Amino acid sequence: MSRTLKWILAANLIVLAILAFVYPHLMVGPGKLIPGHAKLESDCFACHAAFTGAESQRCVSCHKPEEIGKLTTTGLPVQNPLTSTPFHQKLISSDCIACHSDHAGVKRFRPTGQFNHRLLEKATRDECQGCHKSPKDSLHQQITGNCSQCHSQDKWTPATFDHAKYFELDRDHNVKCATCHVRDDYSRYTCYGCHEHSQQKIRREHIEEGIRDFDNCVECHKNADEHDIRMPGREREGKRKHGRKQDDD
Amino acid sequence: MTNNLWRNHILPFTLLVGLLGVATLVGDYLLHRFNLVWIGRYLGIPGTLLIIGSLIYSLRKRKMITSGNMKSWLSMHEVGTWLGSLMVLLHAGIHFNAILPWLATVAMGVNVISGMVGKLLLGRSREHVLGQRDHYQLRGMSKEDIERAVFWDAVTLDAMTKWRKVHIPIFIVFAVLALGHIISIFLFWGWV
Repeated sequence: MSRTLKWILAANLIVLAILAFVYPHLMVGPGKLIPGHAKLESDCFACHAAFTGAESQRCVSCHKPEEIGKLTTTGLPVQNPLTSTPFHQKLISSDCIACHSDHAGVKRFRPTGQFNHRLLEKATRDECQGCHKSPKDSLHQQITGNCSQCHSQDKWTPATFDHAKYFELDRDHNVKCATCHVRDDYSRYTCYGCHEHSQQKIRREHIEEGIRDFDNCVECHKNADEHDIRMPGREREGKRKHGRKQDDD
Repeated sequence: MTNNLWRNHILPFTLLVGLLGVATLVGDYLLHRFNLVWIGRYLGIPGTLLIIGSLIYSLRKRKMITSGNMKSWLSMHEVGTWLGSLMVLLHAGIHFNAILPWLATVAMGVNVISGMVGKLLLGRSREHVLGQRDHYQLRGMSKEDIERAVFWDAVTLDAMTKWRKVHIPIFIVFAVLALGHIISIFLFWGWV
């Protein structure tokens, strides 16, 4: 390598090193910061500690946990809060990085909109309605609290509601909720939402067996097996046809 | 330029460079498709280690180390740098975040291409031009006619010789820029 080439190389690399210190956000920063942090763009150590990354202590020096969701970092009331109830005051520790990140290039790798509920104090964690609004459908409107009997704290769906307790959703009944629960009304259902069960046919079959009270299908039928009938107030009838014991068949 | 030079030398070179580009695009697509982008994020580490490991050939060539077969070290150098570069290219992805790592990526690309020029083109092309000269000489052509016949091959060879000379200086640029990127990551990234 010629001496001139060596000098050119060295000069270029020195210029790049200087640029890295003068414009760190352009030279080494992994993408833009969020607009609220734009002023910190060239001050990497406002958020980062050397060799250990972004530090929660540095976040809380501006974002005081007792004020998050209530006041801005300048002390003004928050105009459009992201959550209906401030909850940062109920966190078990100030681990900001567990949920928040910055820099466009880093945010790409982080799941957004996910919050680990285990970071909340136990009492707050169990009070879902403190932060979440109940869905508008009639089923949820009847329920107050105790969401965890059906929903987990990781995901709203799938809910762990045990539908089989009321009616087994087998392959013949693998349909949209609205087929049976019309207009999102989960307090009611109809078995006449499909072609298989017509009111006329069901009526005829039950009258033949001497059954006149057949409005509430799931009272006796817990699955698609027409022989598996469970009469209320009696032990399981076993495999039998309506009203008639298997022995009679 | 004769067809032979194109078919026997330039085409394999183009295919190998093209394969690197296609493998990068396909790999990047698959990582995104299967939501495995985080793997690309860490591929920079094994990629860099492979490139560093393949430098043993350069040390052996300059007699800084004496053990091992030159040919084996060269093969390891070629495979290691190609694979290492692929990993670094996947690590870089198609996301433009900071200037320094991208300059390092460009320098690495130039370095890989100049290395391939050395491997696939230069030696064989030199042999090809000399062979052509001998061939025309045996046919009794005058010196001027021979020079005219091999003119474009000679020009190509000359350009490739210059390109080959870029390999070491551009590697130094790549090494310094990559080091800057690695230092900045260690300085600002939270590993724990």
